[in-house]
Amino acid sequence: MSIFSSAVEKPISTLMVFVAIVVIGIYSYITLPVDQYPKMDPPYITVMATYPGANATDIEQNVTKQLENQLNSVDDLKEMTSKSYDNLSVVTLEFEWGVNLDNASNDVRDAVDKSMSSLPDDIDRPTIMRISTSMMPILVYAVTAEQSYSGLYKILDDKVVMRLNRVDGVASAYVSGIAERVVYVDLDPNKLDAYNLSLSQIGNSILAENMDISAGSIKVGLEDYSLRIEGEFDESEDIKNIALNVGGKTLKLKDIALVRDTLKDITLETKVNRREGCVLLVTKQSDANAVQVASDSRAEIQKALEELPTDIKFQMITDNSDFIIKAMNNLKETLFYALLFVVIVVFIFLGRWRSTFVIALTIPISLVVAFIYLAVTDGSLNTITLMSLSIAIGMVVDDAIVVLENVTKHVDRGSRPKEAAKYGTNEVWTSVIVTTLVTIAVFFPLTMLPGIMGIFFKPLGWIICICVSTSTLTAISLTPMLCSQFLKLRDAEEETKGNKFSFYFWSQKWLHKMDNFYERVIRWVLRHKAVTIISMMLLFFASLLLTKYLHTEFFPQNDMSNLSVYAKMQQGQRVEKTREIAMKVDSVMRARIPEIRIITASYGSEETASFASMMSTTGNNVFNMRVRVLEIKDRDRSVFAIADEVRGILQEFPEILDYNVKTGQNGTTGNTVDVEVFGHDFQQTSNFAVKLKAALADVPGAEDILISRGDDNVELQLYLDREKLARHGLTTSGVGSLVRNYVYGYRQSKFKEDGEEYDIIVRLEEKYRSHMSDVENMLITDGYGKKVRLKELGDLREGYSPPSIERKSKQRMLTVSITPADGYAMGDIAEAAQAVINQMDVPQELSIYIGGSYEDQQESFAGLAMLIVLSLLLVYLVMAAEFESFLMPGIIMLAIPFAFTGVILALIITQVNLSVVAALGALMLIGIVTKNGIVLIDYINLMRERGYRLTEAVALSCRSRLRPVLMTSLTTMLGMLPMALSTSEGAETWQPMGVAVIGGMVFSTIITMLIVPAVYAATAKSGDRDKKKSEQKQYRFMKDFDPERDLPEHKKNK
Amino acid sequence: MKAVFIVYNQALTERVAYMLEQLRIKGWTQFPLVYGQGTNGGEPRMGTHAWPEMNSSTLTIVEDDMVDLVLKYVDKLDHVNQENGLRAFVWNIDKMY
Repeated sequence: MSIFSSAVEKPISTLMVFVAIVVIGIYSYITLPVDQYPKMDPPYITVMATYPGANATDIEQNVTKQLENQLNSVDDLKEMTSKSYDNLSVVTLEFEWGVNLDNASNDVRDAVDKSMSSLPDDIDRPTIMRISTSMMPILVYAVTAEQSYSGLYKILDDKVVMRLNRVDGVASAYVSGIAERVVYVDLDPNKLDAYNLSLSQIGNSILAENMDISAGSIKVGLEDYSLRIEGEFDESEDIKNIALNVGGKTLKLKDIALVRDTLKDITLETKVNRREGCVLLVTKQSDANAVQVASDSRAEIQKALEELPTDIKFQMITDNSDFIIKAMNNLKETLFYALLFVVIVVFIFLGRWRSTFVIALTIPISLVVAFIYLAVTDGSLNTITLMSLSIAIGMVVDDAIVVLENVTKHVDRGSRPKEAAKYGTNEVWTSVIVTTLVTIAVFFPLTMLPGIMGIFFKPLGWIICICVSTSTLTAISLTPMLCSQFLKLRDAEEETKGNKFSFYFWSQKWLHKMDNFYERVIRWVLRHKAVTIISMMLLFFASLLLTKYLHTEFFPQNDMSNLSVYAKMQQGQRVEKTREIAMKVDSVMRARIPEIRIITASYGSEETASFASMMSTTGNNVFNMRVRVLEIKDRDRSVFAIADEVRGILQEFPEILDYNVKTGQNGTTGNTVDVEVFGHDFQQTSNFAVKLKAALADVPGAEDILISRGDDNVELQLYLDREKLARHGLTTSGVGSLVRNYVYGYRQSKFKEDGEEYDIIVRLEEKYRSHMSDVENMLITDGYGKKVRLKELGDLREGYSPPSIERKSKQRMLTVSITPADGYAMGDIAEAAQAVINQMDVPQELSIYIGGSYEDQQESFAGLAMLIVLSLLLVYLVMAAEFESFLMPGIIMLAIPFAFTGVILALIITQVNLSVVAALGALMLIGIVTKNGIVLIDYINLMRERGYRLTEAVALSCRSRLRPVLMTSLTTMLGMLPMALSTSEGAETWQPMGVAVIGGMVFSTIITMLIVPAVYAATAKSGDRDKKKSEQKQYRFMKDFDPERDLPEHKKNK
Repeated sequence: MKAVFIVYNQALTERVAYMLEQLRIKGWTQFPLVYGQGTNGGEPRMGTHAWPEMNSSTLTIVEDDMVDLVLKYVDKLDHVNQENGLRAFVWNIDKMY
């Protein structure tokens, strides 16, 4: 017994099966985590090696090169870039997306081990780091304080960070942008000289005093005591009172030094809305539910606030979960409207509530299965999966519509609903499965996409395949069952008379008129086949000419109400001057841009090359700003337009040499065109880059042109005379470490309090080290215990040190990156840049490539093009098998180019850029469009088999199939409409797809209904009927039969 | 009215249908698969491993003057290849609805 007969015979069992599916689906939905994107780990591994004392060139030659040579052989490596700074080498390995990074990091570790033998002996072991999205903060708070500022770090650490770390799913919470506590011991060189002390002596005695030593145990009577020497400082006051032995007399440290327990002198400072403050960041564990973690954390911070001093204020800078929730709600709304539209369309066409209900019921069942799939595969509810559901909604009703229509036909003919359900389903169930197979043929290849596209579109491919398969299953089991229960045998007379005011009567009247009109059109087309076909072809080629007006971009950028600003000024500028300019920029921005809510500015540099300095460029001459603007609904301008205004403001400041304004979240969604200049000679590449930058400035839409290589660092260089050194019994390293102690400080000892450790920095007081002459006059104790001035040992000269050195694929390079302004597409900028380069006189030693996001875009488009070819092929195979013909699939697929015409027109009219998402929409059209053709051709073939003449068969079938085709097309289109119209949070991502699909559908549906019949009629003349005749000619046994002569009278002329 | 019962090798199905169509005999009933064997050397048609072939049969009720015409072409068709096997039997129709 077939599936539909069983379903009709056992309605309760059938119902229970589907209720079970829905229940499991709803359960899965409740347990699914919510996130913005599918889980993805960026395939980057970074190797960092520090080699103190080496400058960038040394690092490049001795460290970076050695590491690169070994790392180059790691499997699945896509690209290797490196950056050599003073003291630090950073090699970044980019792998293919989807590579197992655990294996990759093992390989990297092996490679690093191998390279150890060729690295300098005294180098620290390189560290291997993996970057994952979970390192990106989900919550960023700006914290401001007034009186409590000096203790802010400690307060936050004790009261807030501790609490946050206890929240489920929080990976870490940390405070940045605040000065740490430190104990300074500022020495006066004159006093040192007077008492004949050296800085390292003082440093060493602090180190020697600040100690606890365990000295074993002593047995006293029955007791066992452990003996300890307690020397560690309990409070910083203790340091002041350290006694020093000078020539047999004791001296307190405070007599010769100023001991300050304070905050570190500013290096990197943060201002929140012009006030003292810092930034609190919360990151989540990679598999935690972002929305849940964020709301728990917010609640925890609320609780913590009650315990904090009242002057400490928290302000939200970024709340990733907020964007996710809004985007999700927006998508859910889209989903709801799609459902509503689909139901309305079905009702208008069928005109009966019962039928509409039967159809509408397939929607939730098909969609709920997607949740089960997501729960089983550890997926999450994210923008991609919800978008997939939105796409599926219009497609899942198609099969049910076909079945219901046929069953209704049988019922109207007088069958009992039960039999009608069985026969009706039996007639169409194969063609229903074939149309589903065509859809799967289009979407299944998506699940095989490699790279980042795969991470985004694999879930989409799976969800649509699963939803559509479920809908087919529902259509051949649940739908016939419901038909057998719900549809009523109608009295034929009542039907024709009807109630003149009923909706059914009204809608059928108009639909009937439409059918008539279409039949007249089709008959005209069949008489003018050549005219129709040629004019359609011309239309298609004309649309191809329009493609040059089409702008391309990689991935639509989201308006996340965030901006980040980077500005660089004169190299060597004091941080105080940077602060002054940053504050000026801040006030101009506030005055001109009313949308601004919070500006967090930071400037200055951290002393040591830290992880933070890898993420964003810092320096005394650099300021970074994070700007939060109003929510989308509260402002008229997009964040991209605001970014353009900010750029204008930055241009007005002559002090600012370079700037960059990004609109993405944490700068992750880069949208830049990078011109990569490869060449060994620094001077040559830098010169070329500067020339290129000047030339590119004239390109319209090219903003924020940045050269990646920094300007040369200004420095004071001490050249020691080796002969003099030898005479004094000194070495370069000895002098070097002494000078380092004077300026940078002697930092061996730590002050401990409440479980925290703070540096004790012993160095000269600032006034004794702020002039060149101070440095020249520094006293050095030579090998004979005599004091000698530094200037007697060598010269101090001003000079420049090489900047950091970037390499890619083992070659020195630099990039000139260009950000397209609002309204300009990356593809155009890349073309313009290429034109500029072609006109320039490129030195022979240099090679130039255009990369960046543009390169990714090209790769992805190539991948999509392959996918379209694969889909076309699969669709052809399925259809050729279905129709047992090579020609029919060809005729049906003629509609596909017109779908692309529609996409091009829709994108041009709505001014939407051609992005990967829009291209994906075009891909989907292959499946949707061929469906219409299948329905049409299938019926024409049927009519011809029943013996109708060709034109008659075509005209009648077209008339009869108009409604199902329009209905399925309209449901798909209207299902996408909310997506295309939506403008709120996150809409930028899916809007292009909606626009592309609707445009393509409108156009191709109209064209399919005209050109497919025309081409069918044109090609099918020597078709099946003629073939049958020629076959019968071989039946020679009736050759002598002449009906006029042989037949009896009553049989003649009938 | 006479009933004409035509039994034939399945391979002849299309030719018999063609014949009826040419003779403008509109009404007929076909039994697509029947077993059987001929009296005069006709091979068994059993659809088994030993006798894999099958017969079909068509029953048509025609006017008396059509019978000879039908039988004439049945005979002609049989003579194209006698090994196929083709027979027609005629009997009277007493009453009809």
